[in-house]
Amino acid sequence: MSTVAESSRPITSRFDPRFEVTLYRYVGVEGAHTLDAYRAHGGYAAATKALTERTPAQVIDEVKASGLRGRGGAGFPTGLKWSFMPPPDGGQRFIVCNADESEPGSFKDRYLLEDDPHQVIEGMLIAGYAIQATLGVLYVRGEYYRAYERLQAAIDEARAAGVLGTGVLGTGVDFDLILHRGAGAYICGEETALMNSFEGLRANPRLKPPFPAQAGVYGRPTTINNVESFASVVHIIDKGAAWYAAMGTDDSKGTKLYQVSGPVHRPGVYELPMGASFRELIYDLAGGPTEPAKAFIPGGSSTPMLPWTDANLDLPMDYASMAKAGTMLGTGGVIVIPESKCIVDAMYNLVRFYAHESCGKCTPCREGVSTWLPKMFQKLLAGLGTCEDLSLMEEMVRHLRGTAFCPLADACAMPVAASFQHFRSEYEHLVDTGTPLHPRTSRWVA
Amino acid sequence: MVDLPTLQPFFADKLELLAEILGRYPEYGRRSALMPLLWEVQRAERHVSEARIEEIAEIIGVTATEAKGVMSFYSTYHEQPVGRYHLQVCRTLSCALAGGDELYAHVCERTGLVNGETDAEGRFSIQNVECLGSCGTAPVLQVNDAFYERVTRSGVDALLEAMRRDELPPPTRERGGDNASAAKAERQTTPADPTDAGGAA
Repeated sequence: MSTVAESSRPITSRFDPRFEVTLYRYVGVEGAHTLDAYRAHGGYAAATKALTERTPAQVIDEVKASGLRGRGGAGFPTGLKWSFMPPPDGGQRFIVCNADESEPGSFKDRYLLEDDPHQVIEGMLIAGYAIQATLGVLYVRGEYYRAYERLQAAIDEARAAGVLGTGVLGTGVDFDLILHRGAGAYICGEETALMNSFEGLRANPRLKPPFPAQAGVYGRPTTINNVESFASVVHIIDKGAAWYAAMGTDDSKGTKLYQVSGPVHRPGVYELPMGASFRELIYDLAGGPTEPAKAFIPGGSSTPMLPWTDANLDLPMDYASMAKAGTMLGTGGVIVIPESKCIVDAMYNLVRFYAHESCGKCTPCREGVSTWLPKMFQKLLAGLGTCEDLSLMEEMVRHLRGTAFCPLADACAMPVAASFQHFRSEYEHLVDTGTPLHPRTSRWVA
Repeated sequence: MVDLPTLQPFFADKLELLAEILGRYPEYGRRSALMPLLWEVQRAERHVSEARIEEIAEIIGVTATEAKGVMSFYSTYHEQPVGRYHLQVCRTLSCALAGGDELYAHVCERTGLVNGETDAEGRFSIQNVECLGSCGTAPVLQVNDAFYERVTRSGVDALLEAMRRDELPPPTRERGGDNASAAKAERQTTPADPTDAGGAA
């Protein structure tokens, strides 16, 4: 484990001898997105195995035994989620792929969709078989146009080759996909908002229950998973649950796609066994920070930040350790915050994001996240804030928690609360002097 | 009697396309075609006018108000025409840490436009956008549907100059992390794809 500021070793997760890179093996490889290339390295063998040698219940059991937890951010056990589907009643059932990746700091799904679309399609096919759904919906965010094009081409290829359609892969199983393009709304990453969006409605989240397994797309039983979860399923079926469960920690199995952004030498996506430390990710793989850092956001913008301490950098990146540290693994999107960035300014950036993305349905979120919080940050940054404002902001983010249909308000409140917890002195400096502790400088180096 | 101006319906001469889009969804899910129909119109006309909203609403079987309510929910549908080159600058945290704000200011300065504006000749328009999922290759500038990543001052200037000549250079294929070395290592083993020119419209 490296403790120096910048690792000189050219270690990359891809060539790490301790484990096998599976999810990202073909990302960045020219031509890997075609059906021929995918089949040349054994693609769709896992789906064939599932559809011909396993019952749907056995596939669910295998995924349960693997210990896979949802990679969209919440970490709910995937196999368990699949088992919530009611028995088939002869009506349409849906498997949905949430490819609306929009959590700031997260960019793992995009490259999977662009460079290895068949891996995602194969995962959906296996999942569709397991929950006995003959139709899948692939909802990809509007800005990912390249991914949309690649997915459309992959679906066309798969249909022409009998991988999708009637009697897929020479079996008696029917399965087809509907590719649907979003149009720029973070809230569509929330599963019920995504379903409303797919149905041609405003993307307001729905009240739960009923949960998607009871009433999802068009009111029909539906299971929804993240892109990376579907890709993981392919390898679980291919190599077995025991192989998968042998990687990771007690409560977090397999490999995961971690992302590093902010001022580091080699920002990007790295696949690591769960439980690897932030230090391994940030220093050994991403090359360490390019300037002194004071904090990092561990798993996408909505996860509470952690100060840049040895203890925090040595935390294992798994669900239990993150919960114990008072934060969350989220999407695994690490954002490094340099010493020179005003924490109030950084938080205002994220608050502005959530203010823009609040759907306006629930009053606490519409008034608190969309209106009051950004205005209070503006007041602070203009040098007009008071001590009472700071207390009011702390109280506000406390009261925002758990008051809305969906977690967006919490997603905004939690990181703001963490910034007050760890960096209240920077807020106080702004109030006392009217100027930020770290004034803005140009960050465009190129 | 005055002859009122009429507008040829957008889909009047595109019945096959219309049938294909409607055919993607189950009969009971006809309303799902709303977003793809909006996309088709916007792609061709760089915005969706009131007349087009009415036309789409009628196809789907909802009121124009409902259709507009949906359209206005999303930030990438435009009620007014954007430029032939719609410049979208991400300013969310990871991009801001890599100079997203300075990139935005630079693009504004070079085009003489600010957020929400389109120039008189309809060439450029600017929009501030939120996280584009390019955090590892920040800062990012999206032009129409294509991403230009890790953009530099000289890179942006060259890009704008090219667009003034009505040329759009191919987008970047950055991956970050260790995925560039992978491409080198495994390129030999995978068949080349002659159709992949790497371009988005």
